[in-house]
Amino acid sequence: MAALRYESQVRSPLVTGEKTYHQVTEDIVRPIEGKPTRLWYIGLTISVVLLLFGVYSVYREVVYGIGEWNLNKTIGWGWDITNFVWWVGIGHAGTLISAILLLFRQGWRTGVNRAAEAMTIFAVMCAGQFPIFHMGRVWMAFFVMPYPNTRGPLWVNFNSPLLWDVFAISTYFTVSLLFWYSGLLPDLATVRDRAREKWRKRMYGVLSFGWTGSTKHWQRHEALSLVLAGLSTPLVLSVHTIVSFDFATSVIPGWHTTIFPPYFVAGAIFSGFAMVQTLLIITRKVLRLEDYITMEHIEVMNKVIVLTGSIVGIAYITELFISWYGQNPYEMAAFKNRYDLSTPYAWSYYLMMSCNVIAPQFFWFRSLRRNLLFTFFMSIIVNVGMWFERFVIIVTSVYRDYLPSSWSTYYAPTVWEVGFYLGTFGLFFTCFFLFSKFFPVIAIAEIKHILKKNGESFKEGMDKEERESVEEFAHENAHH
Amino acid sequence: MEQKKYWQSFGELTNSAAHQKSAQDEFKEELPFDGFDARGLEQAGTPRRDFLKYVGFSTAAAAIAASCEIPIKKAVPFVNRPAEIIPGIADYYATTYVAGGDAIPVLARVRDGRPIKIEGNDRSSWSKGGTTAQVQASVLDLYDTARLRFPAANGKEVSTFEAFDKMVAEAIAGLGGAPLVILSSTINSPSGRQVISEFLAKYPGSRHVQYDAVSFSGMLQANEATYGKRAIPSYDFAKAKVIVSLGADFLATWLNPVEFQHGYTQGRKINPANPTMSKHYQFEGMMSMTGANADERFTHRPSETGAVAAGILAALNGQAVNVSGDKLKKGIAKAAADLAANKGAALVVSGSNDVNVQVLVNAINEAIGANGTTINWANPLLNKSGVDSEMAALVNEIGNGSVGGLIVIDANPVYTYFDGEKLAAALPKLKLSVALSEKLDETAKLCKYVLPVNHYLESWGDAEMKSGYVSLLQPTIAPLFKTRQWQESLLKWSGNTTGYHDYHKAFWSARLNGDSNYLAALQDGVIEPGASLALSTASFNAAPVAAAVAASAAPAKKGSVTDKTADVEVVLYQKAGIADGRHANNPWLQEMPDPITRATWDNYVMMSPSLGKKLLKIDIAVDTQADKYDAFPKKPVVNLKVGSKKAVTLPVLIIPGMQEETVAVAVGYGRSEEFGKASAGVGQNVYQLAALNGATVSYVTAGQVEATDATYPIATTQTHGKYEGRHEVVKEVTLASFQKDPRQIIEARAKELAPWGGLEHYEKDGTIYPVFDKPGIKWGMSIDMNSCYGCGACVVACTAENNVAVVGKPEVLRAHDMHWLRIDRYFSGNPHDPESIQTVFQPMLCQHCDNAPCENVCPVAATNHSSEGLNQMTYNRCIGTRYCANNCPYKVRRFNWADYTGADSFKHNQDIFDENPAVLMMNDDLTRMVLNPDVTVRSRGVIEKCSFCVQRLQEGKLQAKKENRPLTDKDVKTACQQACAADAIVFGNVNNSESAISKTRKENELRLFYVLEQIHVMPNVSYLAKVRNTDHISEHEAEEAKEGKAEAAKPAAEHH
Repeated sequence: MAALRYESQVRSPLVTGEKTYHQVTEDIVRPIEGKPTRLWYIGLTISVVLLLFGVYSVYREVVYGIGEWNLNKTIGWGWDITNFVWWVGIGHAGTLISAILLLFRQGWRTGVNRAAEAMTIFAVMCAGQFPIFHMGRVWMAFFVMPYPNTRGPLWVNFNSPLLWDVFAISTYFTVSLLFWYSGLLPDLATVRDRAREKWRKRMYGVLSFGWTGSTKHWQRHEALSLVLAGLSTPLVLSVHTIVSFDFATSVIPGWHTTIFPPYFVAGAIFSGFAMVQTLLIITRKVLRLEDYITMEHIEVMNKVIVLTGSIVGIAYITELFISWYGQNPYEMAAFKNRYDLSTPYAWSYYLMMSCNVIAPQFFWFRSLRRNLLFTFFMSIIVNVGMWFERFVIIVTSVYRDYLPSSWSTYYAPTVWEVGFYLGTFGLFFTCFFLFSKFFPVIAIAEIKHILKKNGESFKEGMDKEERESVEEFAHENAHH
Repeated sequence: MEQKKYWQSFGELTNSAAHQKSAQDEFKEELPFDGFDARGLEQAGTPRRDFLKYVGFSTAAAAIAASCEIPIKKAVPFVNRPAEIIPGIADYYATTYVAGGDAIPVLARVRDGRPIKIEGNDRSSWSKGGTTAQVQASVLDLYDTARLRFPAANGKEVSTFEAFDKMVAEAIAGLGGAPLVILSSTINSPSGRQVISEFLAKYPGSRHVQYDAVSFSGMLQANEATYGKRAIPSYDFAKAKVIVSLGADFLATWLNPVEFQHGYTQGRKINPANPTMSKHYQFEGMMSMTGANADERFTHRPSETGAVAAGILAALNGQAVNVSGDKLKKGIAKAAADLAANKGAALVVSGSNDVNVQVLVNAINEAIGANGTTINWANPLLNKSGVDSEMAALVNEIGNGSVGGLIVIDANPVYTYFDGEKLAAALPKLKLSVALSEKLDETAKLCKYVLPVNHYLESWGDAEMKSGYVSLLQPTIAPLFKTRQWQESLLKWSGNTTGYHDYHKAFWSARLNGDSNYLAALQDGVIEPGASLALSTASFNAAPVAAAVAASAAPAKKGSVTDKTADVEVVLYQKAGIADGRHANNPWLQEMPDPITRATWDNYVMMSPSLGKKLLKIDIAVDTQADKYDAFPKKPVVNLKVGSKKAVTLPVLIIPGMQEETVAVAVGYGRSEEFGKASAGVGQNVYQLAALNGATVSYVTAGQVEATDATYPIATTQTHGKYEGRHEVVKEVTLASFQKDPRQIIEARAKELAPWGGLEHYEKDGTIYPVFDKPGIKWGMSIDMNSCYGCGACVVACTAENNVAVVGKPEVLRAHDMHWLRIDRYFSGNPHDPESIQTVFQPMLCQHCDNAPCENVCPVAATNHSSEGLNQMTYNRCIGTRYCANNCPYKVRRFNWADYTGADSFKHNQDIFDENPAVLMMNDDLTRMVLNPDVTVRSRGVIEKCSFCVQRLQEGKLQAKKENRPLTDKDVKTACQQACAADAIVFGNVNNSESAISKTRKENELRLFYVLEQIHVMPNVSYLAKVRNTDHISEHEAEEAKEGKAEAAKPAAEHH
């Protein structure tokens, strides 16, 4: 009867360990219902300490002025906007995974989309701190909101890319949050339904918005997911495009570059996937979710990293080529200030180049793509590189621009400038730790779609028959 | 047809009362609106709709409340308004800035009883309304927190002047006939001199010694020897077609820079129809501001000045020139040839204090016919009268006890005299020592009696800077403290009971024939000689020349340079800002960047790049090292030794153009905290490095520098010194090439703009956006780079006019300086070849671009364009994103990084300035009186920048409107324009074809350019290209070489 056996081997299962539906729920909800580990407490404590340090750094800056940072008359933006762009970029992977991959029906996304979306939201929260607190008068920040006011005919300036940022980032945050939360509803209901304690029942009851799992609910849920995915998809491209306009629309050589929008988007996805790797490699280990976030996921994301890293690399080289091809002395000088080893910031350019362009090329090797430690290491390298990309663009363009008389002294951050950045790490990880404790880090409902459990059960049942000869089979079945 | 009735309910069928009611109401249920009236807000049920309303209302209310104004802390209104003061209207008083012998006629702008700004008095025929940085800054000295506030005897306050007078009178009586000496800075006040002579007459045996911190004794004595007059003639640079300066910094600090700048500039302005200009040679060791403006500059060791002078004289006489170095020899030959060719229109000046050098200079001037043409003996300069031998004798006498009493007026010899130590040791031993001083200083501190004197803005008086040209002083404010003019004190002590005011009035009424003339003169501020004084010569006595030539042989070069030490010659010089140190406690001057080094808040050793390479291992000709040197403010420190005893430890700045074995250090620094917060601990005093050389004090000595491992941060406002061949930023041509091809600049511009509509249509064709009409007024400025010498008067004027914050050294170090106007200085040439160094000064301020890149990036439209072409800043709209500053190609926008002004509403946020006393000093209630009430004091977190003095523009427009006439150039002058003694800045309404700005632009069309014109920001500040009366432009050399190569390669290629 072996001839009866025909199994399509096109895809290996996305969830390993032959999980049953119940096991899936058990595995994913376990961390929520159990006590957190020591490691979780240590991690959370460190994050909160960083967050508090960040709060104090911001307090100093708000009370004493931006002079608490080492920016100066030539370098108006430094670590602040570098961090902003970096964090916004990180967010992009989440939206890409949840929206674009949903539309493309990429089943593997279900293993990582929840965590990646959470990362998006936390990263955008962190990113938002910088444009707000880099303002000299943050208490007047509401001036950027276009609303009818008592200040006469004053209105915001719709020509300013910084104002576009306000809309782009707030839209992005809102849509991402809705998307993430609507996806959470069935899972929160699952947690509610399993809850034994009253408070848990009540809390998740409120959070799940009265989800009953009725067909109508599911139908609406699916429709909403598609609508939000449709809304998010252009956002993946538009948000970083608009962020890149901050620079591209300016007159400063090194900023004024038409290649920025695609280059920024590719860079954003690049760094976003690296951050997803960093987080998930730890999460799957700590929460014992290796069966859900498998080596396949890691590998597929590494492929995205090598692709986007190479796009970014081409962008870098194109920029250099155009600066030479354009023969604009100011632009040539701006790029010379990056690659010329005699200049003070050349090290940051080469650090960026090696982290973003050279390092990801290792992912052409399958064994390295499937190497956890190496992937983890690379994910850090890529994000260091991407941070320096923004630093190089922002600082090395502006510190020596048109008039040589205004060329700046060497810019290095103060402790409060670094503190603000660390504080956003604190915010990010505090949120992530709380998320991993109180929310299902994998979309339970969604991952159940892709379980091959039915097929596997059938296969198991058929096993005996397949091994039997025709005679045996006939004999056995003839009995009845 | 019968109407068929359909009914929905029995109620409808029966048309019951309940149905009628419900049909009437649109909503079936009771509407959830709940009036507060009955139950009050707290008890009222709040359904969803109301909740949303409340949220909406409270958000809006909070937003409105948050944007409300912050309450004003202090405001003291007049209870009864004084008749002559109209709030908001400024009064101008003509008076005279006096500092030592220097006296510049000025107008004091007084607002609500407080002098707030000094402006030049254009009724003076020699100053023509010009000022210097010191003049502009002097108003701040009035409000200096370090001023003495009461008379003191032995360090204790004396309650009244009468008591003080009694004490002094008793002390004088107690001298028992021992000589009484008045030691003062140069006094050229006619009435003051009379007061002194009356005093001297009262006390036989007493005498008056004049002493200048930086001595001109060499000139006085040389003139005495050769012309029989111990005086300094007037110099007319306007008439000089060839100017040779032997180390005289006549545009910055030498004698009378206001007059000299104005004269010099006549020869530097280019007449477009017939482009010619004067030729300026400079021979010097250090890189001076004047040297930086020279057409040809040759360097030599400072001790060779005599040899150079003798060389020029020899060359003029056709004899052999005996100096070392080929370049120098050629330079001397060239200069001498030019001088000889322009007899009667040439001038040689020297900054040396050596009698022999000055005798030689006199001989040269005699030989080139300067005497009676460019040198005028009819009205000598009276601002420097100190003779070193007299001072030396006095110091000796004080030391050996043969002087009984000393009255020091407005002089600080303990600090400024090279042998101040000796004086300091002897002063306390005197039976009587009285200091009549504005501030506590090193000398006053050692005097038994200290009587504070008035600031010039609180004083009556007169001054005669040039003989025959008198300017008067009148008080603009009542004395702020218990102070008294020295004239009044001397009158009292000589037994004259007349107050000085009456004395002054009587003095001038008698000379001017009547009170009304006196009052008129007070109003004018100046008394000018009726007809311009005829030129006069003095007869030259050539006898001392031979001896001077003999004495002029340069000492042998020492020149040993090892890894660690180098023999050098040390030049002590005065900076354009701090000068002799009299104004050291003035934060505006301390923060004014030095024209050459661009450094603030320090003195330092200026060293040549060659010596820097050898001694400090920094070669600024190598990019890597230059980049590193530029990028970090910490500079190497050296020990500078003179003789065996004297040494100072100072940081080094490597300055191109310095002669290799010469180092230069500025005097006027190194004060201790008790003499003022701002000057405390800034730099080192180097007056003691000077030495008595025969009869005069020499400010050039031999010394040794020794490298150390230490570093010290120097706060410079400009780190990079070259313009990197960016011709869109700076345009310079030689005179010869400009004469040959006058259209080269405009053609280069046309070529650059050709793809975008060329010069004519660039505005429209260079953009895809619509171009707007600009009717009415359109403000514009033109800056002539040929007549900007970098002196910084405009920078300080701008600071004073616009309440620009002082940020102190720690903040300048972090490039947080706030100047709205800066003077960019670029060097070109080979750093290791001082002769090749050419310097450009380019005032840089907001260009008020018509297509301003700062405007479109501001998210809240805090910076926008006025209908008059001003790029304006709305401070209270600014949220401080700094995007505009980033996007400004000229980098002229300044951000308030911290609460520099105290205008912020956060408490205690000036705590961070504990290490930055200058900021705290500027925030003192006393100092804040200098603030201009017409200009907002900017708070922390907002951007600011040049406004084209919009407050002045408004005032001018209103004036014209009130008088019902069109606006003219006289109505509006920006502060920088007004301060400039060289008239480098022209400002006005571009749309008026009759205005000076329109004419300047039209007439100088061939030299006109806009900085960074190619990026289509359409600036409203135009520059006139620099023309050098020299053979080549250093910055063009590299390109010329390239072009030369290309041209050389071309025929070869064609050949094949």
